[in-house]
Amino acid sequence: MKKLMNYLMLSCKKATELIEKKSVTDLSWKENIQLKVHTKMCDACCYYQKQSKEIDGILYKYVHNEEATPLLENKLLKENILQSLEQ
Amino acid sequence: MGTIVDLSNPAKTLKCWVELYSDKLYTWAYYKTSNRETAEDLVQDTFLAAVTSFSKFEGKSNPQTWLTAILNNKIIDYHRKRIKDPTINEASQNLPEGAAFFDNWFDKNGSWLKDQQPGSWPNTAEHLLDDNNFSNILQLCMRKLPGNWLSALQLKYLEGKKAELICQELGIATTNYWQILHRAKLQLRKCLEMNWFKK
Repeated sequence: MKKLMNYLMLSCKKATELIEKKSVTDLSWKENIQLKVHTKMCDACCYYQKQSKEIDGILYKYVHNEEATPLLENKLLKENILQSLEQ
Repeated sequence: MGTIVDLSNPAKTLKCWVELYSDKLYTWAYYKTSNRETAEDLVQDTFLAAVTSFSKFEGKSNPQTWLTAILNNKIIDYHRKRIKDPTINEASQNLPEGAAFFDNWFDKNGSWLKDQQPGSWPNTAEHLLDDNNFSNILQLCMRKLPGNWLSALQLKYLEGKKAELICQELGIATTNYWQILHRAKLQLRKCLEMNWFKK
């Protein structure tokens, strides 16, 4: 039993790394189990996982400027481009 | 639409497009780079590229769509270059480099330091980004990240591809990529917590 626990044990540092890894690629079978076991036992990492996903959602929307992003006017840029097109 | 796309007169058409679309393209680029000067350069480059490849625009697609496609390629190229730029790493933001970075977060066994442990956040509003105060704080926290971390983060949401594919194109190891994302996320989460969620 102790052997099995050691096999499944992760540090919080490693667990948070796996949470980020999981958001961009697949985890191995072992990593998946390790992460599940760890977040069941560790409140801090459980919160981290939830909040990391929340931040992903926010940043996805931000980068794709969804929601009410105001149009940024840039007159100087417009003039500069028009000028560079003249040349 | 006839006045917008006069294929026989590229110069006139492009000037018209600058008037119509430069602000939209600039806004688009700004939210994908978090940097005003970069966004300006990329939009300028987009129009210059549009001049040289004008013959490829056949009037079939919407001009804004066509210009946005050129701009998107330039944005992704920009991030790819920055990820590998050694001059904009941790040191540029006074963060400890390498393994020492984690000493701010975890003890030698890899457990959270007591004052760094994530706790619960109040329920988040559904449209947080509609709140200007939140948007400002998010931008502030993003600007505090080293440039190559921010680029890694932005590429993640822009590309929407598996890490293996992004890394293949970038010529970096996948391990390296998610380790950058790990550091960036720890830092960004903390900044948002301190300045917004637990203020």
